Amino acid sequence: MSSDSGSSSSSGDESVEQNPDSNPKLVDERFDLLTLTEPVELEPNHQENGNEIANGSLNRGSNDGGAEDDQLRVENHEIFGDEGPASPSSSGYAGERGSSSASSASGIGEVSEIDGNEIHEVRNDGSLEGISDSRASSWVPGKRHVDEDDASISWRKRKKHFFILSHSGKPIYSRYGDEHKLAGFSATLQAIISFVENGGDRVKSVKAGKHQVVFLVKGPIYLVCISCTEEPFESLKGQLELIYGQMILILTKSINRCFEKNPKFDMTPLLGGTDVVFSSLIHSFSWNPATFLHAYTCIPLAYATRQAAGAILQDVADSGVLFAILMCKHKVISLVGAQKASLHPDDMLLLSNFVMSSESFRTSESFSPICLPRYNPMAFLYAYVHFFDVDTYLMLLTTSSDAFYHLKDCRIRIETVLLKSNVLSEVQRSTIDGGMRVEDLPVDPLPRFGSSPHLGQQRPPTESPEGPREPCIGIGGPAGLWHFIYRSIYLDQYVSSEFSPPLSSPQQQKRLYRAYQRLYASMHDKGIGPHKTQFRRDENYVLLCWVTQDFELYAAFDPLADKALAIKTCNRVCQWVKDVENEIFLQGASPFSW
Amino acid sequence: MGLASIGTGSEGMQLCIFDLRRGQHEGQELDKILFFFPADLPFSTQLSVIGLSEGLITFTRIFSPEAACEVIEAERHSHVFYEAEPDIWMVMIVEKSKELETIWRIDALREVLKEIHCLFMMFHGSIRALLDKEPGGELTRAHLYPFIMDYLRDFLVGKKLQLPSFRDCLKERRTVQMLTVGREAAIEVQTLVRTLESCAGNTSCSSLILFQDLLVSTTLSPEDTINLFTYAVLRLTPHALSSGASSWSYLRKGNSSLPVTTGSTLVHSGSVSEQFYGSRDTSPAGENRYRITRPLQHDKWFKGKDGFLITDIWGVDAGSSNVTTPTVWLQQTEERMYLCAYQYKSLTLILLIPLSSILSGEQGLSVVKQQLLENASLKILKVEEKLSKGWGGENAYHVSGYRYLLVDGNRDISRASPPGKVTTLTKESLLALNRLREEVDSEKSRAKWDNPGHDKDMEVCIRAKNNAWAIARITGGKELYMVLEKANETLLYASEAVEKFSNSRPMEEDTTKTEEEEFNTGPLSVLMMSVKNNTQVLINCRNNKKLLGRVRAFDRHCNMVLENVREMWTEVPKTGKGKKKALPVNKDRFISKMFLRGDSVIIVLRNPK
Repeated sequence: MSSDSGSSSSSGDESVEQNPDSNPKLVDERFDLLTLTEPVELEPNHQENGNEIANGSLNRGSNDGGAEDDQLRVENHEIFGDEGPASPSSSGYAGERGSSSASSASGIGEVSEIDGNEIHEVRNDGSLEGISDSRASSWVPGKRHVDEDDASISWRKRKKHFFILSHSGKPIYSRYGDEHKLAGFSATLQAIISFVENGGDRVKSVKAGKHQVVFLVKGPIYLVCISCTEEPFESLKGQLELIYGQMILILTKSINRCFEKNPKFDMTPLLGGTDVVFSSLIHSFSWNPATFLHAYTCIPLAYATRQAAGAILQDVADSGVLFAILMCKHKVISLVGAQKASLHPDDMLLLSNFVMSSESFRTSESFSPICLPRYNPMAFLYAYVHFFDVDTYLMLLTTSSDAFYHLKDCRIRIETVLLKSNVLSEVQRSTIDGGMRVEDLPVDPLPRFGSSPHLGQQRPPTESPEGPREPCIGIGGPAGLWHFIYRSIYLDQYVSSEFSPPLSSPQQQKRLYRAYQRLYASMHDKGIGPHKTQFRRDENYVLLCWVTQDFELYAAFDPLADKALAIKTCNRVCQWVKDVENEIFLQGASPFSW
Repeated sequence: MGLASIGTGSEGMQLCIFDLRRGQHEGQELDKILFFFPADLPFSTQLSVIGLSEGLITFTRIFSPEAACEVIEAERHSHVFYEAEPDIWMVMIVEKSKELETIWRIDALREVLKEIHCLFMMFHGSIRALLDKEPGGELTRAHLYPFIMDYLRDFLVGKKLQLPSFRDCLKERRTVQMLTVGREAAIEVQTLVRTLESCAGNTSCSSLILFQDLLVSTTLSPEDTINLFTYAVLRLTPHALSSGASSWSYLRKGNSSLPVTTGSTLVHSGSVSEQFYGSRDTSPAGENRYRITRPLQHDKWFKGKDGFLITDIWGVDAGSSNVTTPTVWLQQTEERMYLCAYQYKSLTLILLIPLSSILSGEQGLSVVKQQLLENASLKILKVEEKLSKGWGGENAYHVSGYRYLLVDGNRDISRASPPGKVTTLTKESLLALNRLREEVDSEKSRAKWDNPGHDKDMEVCIRAKNNAWAIARITGGKELYMVLEKANETLLYASEAVEKFSNSRPMEEDTTKTEEEEFNTGPLSVLMMSVKNNTQVLINCRNNKKLLGRVRAFDRHCNMVLENVREMWTEVPKTGKGKKKALPVNKDRFISKMFLRGDSVIIVLRNPK
């Protein structure tokens, strides 16, 4: 039972988290709370479902304070503010270069408009009114527009709704509006699903004008997305899968048993306080390519530095840790898994989202039960999480519930080594320098091959943009190349170039992101895919996609780009990526061989 | 029962039409149903289909009030929605089965629904009007049932309905296929049209001329042209008359022997339905209660000895034992027209005469027919000869190396590779193109909502798993879809091929048609008016003389043949030395016929009189 105490997803209940072997009294208290919420059917299965139930009720109990909640939002706001769709470093660097468009000062405001796009109506969220007027609507984690329901026009006009409901029609989560007020609406959704089910079929999607409704049934859990964004069905379905995965990560799939016992089981208390986790995941659907590429990305680091980090993690992994992951925001510094254990990129996405969105992890070292849906959806693992600085954190995953002190020791060892070998400062430097930039694409790969093409270091940040090497600054890279994503299939990793001036505004970045998403869906059609090549020109871009057995390349060009040149450029990008692959990818024995 | 053989059971499709304004009270839900196929499905099942459709229409309107439910995709079925008239919905439910043949494009299926409705409107008027005429709905049901059953019979392959599938992705329903006509032939056709339409005296007739299954000329509005063209290809052209089956899908090619057996089973369908509806209403309504015409009935059109196509679908005139002439309802003029079809070899001529202009009914019509034979026979002969000479046969529009579909959305015209050539493509290529078309469809519909009236331009080239290229290119409302099935072609090669294709085979080959349109609407309409109405124009020439006269003929260079021309100019009389300059004097002369070269024209003015 001791492990329960460590569990927390959102609140800053520090005393609990610092003492994983906390007193049993607290646990009992939580069970009291629990019995209050669901007195009838949960009492008998205390023992087997103790983990998740306690977890949920704890969150609920500690998340009631309104003031604390507000504070949390503000803090998170600062943290997420500059993270937005741009990779973490781009704004800072651009500022140094004197580029006006992507300076860090305006970064937050611009990021805000990303979600602003999705909202037509004036926001009427009471607690945030002050901010919302001045900053349009900056992305704030957590639930918004709680006062809306399906009768409000503003609610109906939101661009993208997500719902989780139970098979009896009870609302579990809604992106906008208060779940309880949406009971009637949930019942409608449930009715549609079960009506079709009664006819021996399963509804997948409904299209109406610009809107698309996507349904996903996962046992007793129904997930629905209503969207008028241009995303294709496959993408929306993938997003629902991720949301379901996030739920499983918090509760494990054994939640199904609660529904078996009592179909009218109310799950909302179990997920109390996890709004931030879901909302930040949903937010990442509009900036993080990992959500559709099913791959993760690494922070660019010198090969030796990453090796050093990997070595100490490996050391730890040999001492009974299942996975050791060192990350900086959503980018991996290094990770190591025990033998035969493999970690799916989607699990990493969900885990890092969970850790980053929950404020409590940042304040202190934590020990929390989590479930990796792709690894084993039925069982909890225990995650030891520690933030070295505001962005860099270590996650140690284990199967044993009483390994806190052991993991703490491991962390201390790791921290010492990382400090000694300067890994952390290298990471910070890399964050500032940023990754690959289309302007830096070697014009001719051969001559430059010798002069170690290390990213970001190649050119001192002070160098004037009008340098002789880049005649095309401000209009992207050579041949009108604006951006690219390269995904290595064997490594399950991708690298995405930094956003360059033509794509400086968050709206443009989000539009490109959506275009990539569509391209991905079009290339990976289930029935006939994957295709080999695709060239697509519309009023916004020229998009080129190239899928081989080893890699996938997605590249965006100026809409007037020349086809022949674009193809040449793509070849050069691939060559470039290969040249620097030791720095941008985590090499070596990949633990993800499934 | 023949009907059972195609409809019921797990396989196949369901099709229903219902009216949301009807059956609002409990217990009256059945009243909503105007049509249901298969009809022998239990009412509870029918109602649950309609209940789901209605529920989703209401549900989607919460978010998307401007466009309600268009399609429901479920694991085993697709439900395709089409709101034919306000609150009157058509829903088609098609089953997906494990065989790949059941992959389709939703928009192509919706086009089928649209076609059913448009054809129905052409013969019977709008459903709402029928419902208003007889609020019980019986009249409407009695019209819809045989009509749609006759229509569906065209999709019958063996005992299964074969709906447009991915194999038909290089075809476009609801468009017209044109015959490319040389300039000389075009002029002949023009005069033939004029002769045809003057057969009924001064009344404003319209006409449609087809060569084989291709359109040669039309004077109808685009929408009416599509409907009538579709009907002609289904039932009137020589091909339709001989095979008795539609040639729409490639699969049905060479299947002409089949419908004989299956057809006989389906012939019952009409009576079955009436029995069915009769028993349901428990009214004494027999088959004779309404006189229902079944314009899509098979094997009912024949070529008469005089060359006119005749049918007894519209009944037999009791007095003269002559058949009643069919009538159609035009959307543009909202007028009922007699349909008069004449066939000479491959040429089918359709003349539409307003009902209102022929008071004496059949007698009057036979006069018109007589006129047609007398005035136009020779011209028809000549045109047929000319077109046959120019006609390159079935594969006339084949471009070697390409399998393509060109759609001009602005003019509802399409041209495609001949069906025989398309069948050589592999399934993978066709699937890839089908998928691509679906993507393009959704982009198009999105663009329609985002900025209406603005065409979406895009180009997509996909290299599929089997190395074939599937290409879509949309520019200015024109769509080009193409499959290139040669290995080792690079993207550059592929796009070059598209470029070459677009340059070599634009659809503007029928320039005369567009030119005529331009003359009627463009700046040259000033001259056109003069030709048509014999009015005067004033032409200012570069020699500073003016011509006042009537235009007999002209071309796009403003070369003109003028009649009854008064040429006017001013002259300054010569004076002796030292004398004051004389005043200019107006001069003029009369020329009865003249040719004016266009390069000397500066201004043309219409005489406002």
